[in-house]
Amino acid sequence: MITRINVGPIHPGTHGVLRLLVDVDGDTIKRVETHIGFLHRGVEKLVETRMYMQSPPYMEKLDYIAPLAFDELLVAAIEGALGVEVKERAQYIRVIQLELQRIASHLLWLGTLANDVGQLATVFMWAFSDRDKVMRLLEESSGTRMFYVNQRIGGLIRDQPPDFKEHALPLLDYLEKRIPEFEATLEKNPIFTQRMKGIGVLGKEDAINFGVTGPVLRGSGINYDTRSNQDYYVYKKLNFAPQIQYRGDSYSRYKVRMLELRESIKVVRNALNKMPEGDALGLPVRLINPAVKNRIVRVSRETPRGEGMMYMVADPQRPYRLSIRSPSFVNLSVLDHISREHRFADLFAILASLDPVMADVDR
Amino acid sequence: MKTSRDDLIKTVEELQQKGFDYLIKITAVDYVQSLTVIYFLRKMADGSEETVEVELNPVDAWVPTLIKHFRAADWYEREMAEMFAIEIKGRQAHRLLLEKWDGVEAPLRKSFQWAQPYKSDTK
Repeated sequence: MITRINVGPIHPGTHGVLRLLVDVDGDTIKRVETHIGFLHRGVEKLVETRMYMQSPPYMEKLDYIAPLAFDELLVAAIEGALGVEVKERAQYIRVIQLELQRIASHLLWLGTLANDVGQLATVFMWAFSDRDKVMRLLEESSGTRMFYVNQRIGGLIRDQPPDFKEHALPLLDYLEKRIPEFEATLEKNPIFTQRMKGIGVLGKEDAINFGVTGPVLRGSGINYDTRSNQDYYVYKKLNFAPQIQYRGDSYSRYKVRMLELRESIKVVRNALNKMPEGDALGLPVRLINPAVKNRIVRVSRETPRGEGMMYMVADPQRPYRLSIRSPSFVNLSVLDHISREHRFADLFAILASLDPVMADVDR
Repeated sequence: MKTSRDDLIKTVEELQQKGFDYLIKITAVDYVQSLTVIYFLRKMADGSEETVEVELNPVDAWVPTLIKHFRAADWYEREMAEMFAIEIKGRQAHRLLLEKWDGVEAPLRKSFQWAQPYKSDTK
């Protein structure tokens, strides 16, 4: 007999305002109906009424776990429209900030994943305290702890402080020692492995057909990472390599993100060591009738949750239309497919392995 | 590339045979005289990309569904249908994806009327 269980919209397991209607037979999931839209603010419409550099603060509230990712994406789209080149030192600083942002975002995800599979006390507390250390470093670099708004056209609002490298390198060493501790706590725990291995399998062809992105795509064995495939900024010079796992289950997605943490630490370290001297400041915020060189721009970036894309039709003062591709949106759409025939209790482990941010899904 | 909505399915199937297997996004732009629906496709094997644009008359706005070709099209089509009042033909009736507001039709069209700014009674 099929029973319908309502989950949410306010539920600790959904990490935001998400409502799931789950059809179960006994304890087995037969179908999941996903209701989204509770956080829809109409950001795409709002930015049509704002001048270009008034919009980045809105973008930061899309993916509030990694605010810098969409902030930088919009600024990159504006740079594309105005035909502005980013200064080389600014490119390095952006890469450092984006990768630190990825580390902070993945650490928060790790804590909440551990929370969802019953490891609240240890890993959750560890991950959050380590994330705060990374955010303190980002504060030193950008000026604010969480919502940065420090990207400017062609560069940044200010350069890094002179002693940033001396503060950053010890933290990177610390984090590198810390990741094996996280892994040991989780992977040697049979409860964790039983709830992750073989659960929520997304095959290679399905992953492509559903259009999933980011760690979910790479967890299904597909080698696509915007950082290496689309070659933006200085990732090529920093010895970056995408991380792939092949089983397609929740455990693979977990593993991809753990490997990405290491990769991000490596990239930040390389960037700090190779960073050239020079100027990193961007244009002022107030642009009076900037000359739009490309009316239609499309920019893709690898945000911590996957490929974010902006398609912008540019007018002289403000976007005529801005379309945002949200990585959480596509990743969440696969939930029904991969959680069928699993136990109801696994639903939240599967959802946590997809790592959606609801404000980003609804826009 | 540009195509008409009658040829859309044929064009997409041809692209699929060439290996374009990944749908990045479906979106639309309201140019007032016309509505343009844009499909972003990618070939996962080598990362090359292709854009398919379909121009529509804003009064008679519908496109055929691509749900049989790409399952990713499901949520994108539903989002577009709500935001632009573009009918998606050939798929089952669908529940609203983002919830419905009273009296608001197609918020991303340029004909959308903004609410009047709040004015206080007292000065």
